Amino acid sequence: MAIPPSGERAAVALGIYEAQAERASILFFVCGTRTRELAELRVGDHFAVTGPLGNGFTIGEEADVAIVAGGVGIASVLLVAQSLVRLGKRVRLFYGARTADLLVEKDRFASEGCEVLCATDDGTFGHHGFVTQALACADCKPDSILACGPSPMLRATAALAEELGVPAQLSLEETFACGVGGCWGCVIPLDRASAQAPPFPGPDAGGSDVVYARICKEGPVFWAHELRW
Amino acid sequence: MVTPDVDLSVRIGSLELACPTLMGSGCYGSGEEFAPFVDLARIGGIVLKSVTRAPRLGNPTPRLVPTPAGMLNAIGLQNPGIAWYLEHEVAKFANRPCKIIGSVAGFSVDDYAYVAQRLAARDEIHALELNISCPNVAHEGETFACDPRLTSRVVKAVRGVTDKALIVKLSPNVTDIASIAREAQDAGADALAVVNTVRGMSIDVNTWKPRLGNVTGGLSGPAIRPIAVLAVYEVARAVTISIVGQGGIETTTDALEFFLAGASAISIGTANFTDPRIPVRIADELRDYLARRGLNSIAEIVGKGNVGFASAFQYEGDEG
Repeated sequence: MAIPPSGERAAVALGIYEAQAERASILFFVCGTRTRELAELRVGDHFAVTGPLGNGFTIGEEADVAIVAGGVGIASVLLVAQSLVRLGKRVRLFYGARTADLLVEKDRFASEGCEVLCATDDGTFGHHGFVTQALACADCKPDSILACGPSPMLRATAALAEELGVPAQLSLEETFACGVGGCWGCVIPLDRASAQAPPFPGPDAGGSDVVYARICKEGPVFWAHELRW
Repeated sequence: MVTPDVDLSVRIGSLELACPTLMGSGCYGSGEEFAPFVDLARIGGIVLKSVTRAPRLGNPTPRLVPTPAGMLNAIGLQNPGIAWYLEHEVAKFANRPCKIIGSVAGFSVDDYAYVAQRLAARDEIHALELNISCPNVAHEGETFACDPRLTSRVVKAVRGVTDKALIVKLSPNVTDIASIAREAQDAGADALAVVNTVRGMSIDVNTWKPRLGNVTGGLSGPAIRPIAVLAVYEVARAVTISIVGQGGIETTTDALEFFLAGASAISIGTANFTDPRIPVRIADELRDYLARRGLNSIAEIVGKGNVGFASAFQYEGDEG
């Protein structure tokens, strides 16, 4: 989480885009006051970062992985894509954006060994429509799906994964406050019965079949079947 | 930097703090979450997240909304309930290098006494804070902290079950905070935490819906600081027990305002979200501030802003 000096007391959650020995890079879109402040930093300026925080994607035995990324979600999937390619898996990136200009870094993924399939809302590049439609139309079904992007895309991805009978991991985002599990502000409801890591395995709060897990601590990556959203 | 020989220790009832900085309830987990970033030996104590008699699911999402110079929250006291808490959580608080203050919330006088008695009985817990900004279900949902009689009843009930230091957290959402403060003192409180969050809400103009799942929430951060400083000033004139000042403290200057207004200690909450190093920085800078003025202890400035004010002019209200 990066902390620009704006008035709002909430940090910006950033994924590590790329990591090399002593350097890490971040990729973000300027969309508000805080990201504008980050973008205006010059070489030599400092800003505070708390991290790295949370849990990443789990890599299993699957041979064919579909990564679904929407918008700035692309910033959180390069590292996992590189790992999967290194392990010899087939990696297809289904990458969606509003328009062609916002499909940043697609060539980078191709050069890393991913098959890149794009979709744009306005049809200026690739499939005209949602990225999940592009995945639904793909020639063969993947063994697993990893996704990061806006909430409607993640919901559509979860629905498609269920339809295909394929496990999916979704990387979520919320407004974060502490970022370290102390404030319980960034929660998401999980199905009590299927939650892999419920924060309170014991007590049952009023017979509810959901439990709120912290996106910053138990997440940000959750199995699609755990979520009750 | 020279470390000046200045005494920052304070006493809140029977609770001795090596440093006058507490971490606000609900903002700091149990401390272990922040331990990778902060030397907990350099803060005074942690006020734990509030615990209730029964487990609570918490509020629907979203629970946080950033606002100008602050944030709104409506977490809804998500917690595992006192039985689970005692069995699985409290033991983890042992051997922390700072004081641990349990926070008790409830929906009836009996709830508070029940939870307080069990929590205070544990050696890991050095003091209790009463979060009385909860609705009394037996009393048309009126907030304990907003009614002098309810405040008095709940504090008396808890005083009857523990001798540990009892800090009562007051709400700013009242007309006359001094009268509530007096009732809490008379009912046996050792100290008052002044103040809790200010009620607020925000509406999404695209969806026409409230931006918090709970509709309303509590505002914290620098946006509420002047409200909190005034509350400390008014409470300090009304009671003789210690005050823990809180509300938007981010810098040493902010902290000093609270001490001068009459607080013996301060509590830091929202500021930890932007920079968890802030409490330690404030403690170091308080030492410098006092040393530069030839003062030996933080106690020497508590309430001095009050005296200066009173002698400079008669305070008669908000006008002017």
